[in-house]
Amino acid sequence: MLNWVEIVIRSFTFLIALFLLTKWLGKKQLAELSFFEYVTGITIGSIAAEVTMGLERHIMHGLIAMSIWTLFPIIMGLISLKNKKIRDFVEGKATIVIKDGKILEDNLKKERYTIDELLEQLRSKDVFQVSDVEFAVIEPNGDVSILLKKENRPLTAKDIQLNQPSVKEPQTVIMDGLILDEPLSTAGLNRGWLNEELEKLEVTVDNVFLGQIDSYGQLTVDLYDDKINVPSPKEKPLLLASLKKCQADLELFSIQTESEKAKQLYNKNSQKLNRLLSKLTPLLNDN
Amino acid sequence: MTIASNVKQCMVTLKSAKETLSKLAQKSRDEQAKRTFHESMIEVEEIISDLQKRIGQLEFEEPQYKGN
Repeated sequence: MLNWVEIVIRSFTFLIALFLLTKWLGKKQLAELSFFEYVTGITIGSIAAEVTMGLERHIMHGLIAMSIWTLFPIIMGLISLKNKKIRDFVEGKATIVIKDGKILEDNLKKERYTIDELLEQLRSKDVFQVSDVEFAVIEPNGDVSILLKKENRPLTAKDIQLNQPSVKEPQTVIMDGLILDEPLSTAGLNRGWLNEELEKLEVTVDNVFLGQIDSYGQLTVDLYDDKINVPSPKEKPLLLASLKKCQADLELFSIQTESEKAKQLYNKNSQKLNRLLSKLTPLLNDN
Repeated sequence: MTIASNVKQCMVTLKSAKETLSKLAQKSRDEQAKRTFHESMIEVEEIISDLQKRIGQLEFEEPQYKGN
């Protein structure tokens, strides 16, 4: 056989084999590669390259070697799924380097991390002062994870005891001018409703590049024609405003009326509306 | 303008608010929000029926403004 034909055949064989093997290795790869997995990945690639070009080597030998190099990490992965001890051994354990705001020099030495490297890692996380850190660990993949002291952490809604309603993920219902039925039904809505909403916004489906529905069933769109201004959803602010107005009206009526009974009725309902408002405001305030 | 027509206007606003609440209750995907909207809708309904009673009384007292 001609040499170049042989190389073409080998290239395609190993391309396909590599593709299938990496698929089989799974998604975990890249993101959280342990050093071992990283090295096996490179080795598999090298074997493929070596056998593709080295015509004196047999194709089957290459394939066998590649499958073993793939199989081993997979089996190790399966075993470590089941067993914590083996998992710690294979994937490594996190090492604590800062505890109670104090640097643990011994652990740092164990990981062969210099203080400069630690500072660099902290700086990359926007921490410039070690005393701001409550707790820090070096993860098995070499990253440093930090927990700031409470007073240095960003303020959250929980910190100021603000009751925030939970929000579901938005659904993308229009893409490139086409309606996507599946997310639409996930949101519990249908095409009829969508067409109605689009009519309210005075746009056609063809002109919509992207349309999303938020947790409250409000539609927001991005148009191909960026010169057209689409109004933002007004349903919730309008509702909040009209409820506030009614509450004020009822209070006014209760002052104006002379009948004692009517006064009570107005008062009672205005208070009721007040309670309602405090309950609804977090939901209706646009977040 | 009379009190009766003012109260009526307030009631109409509440009615449309009730509609919006019921729409939101149907469309919201979060259970908690759904429930809050639904409960609010029922309470608004109670307020509306109270106001309706009051409108009845007012129209009885000032019949010349009936239907305004």
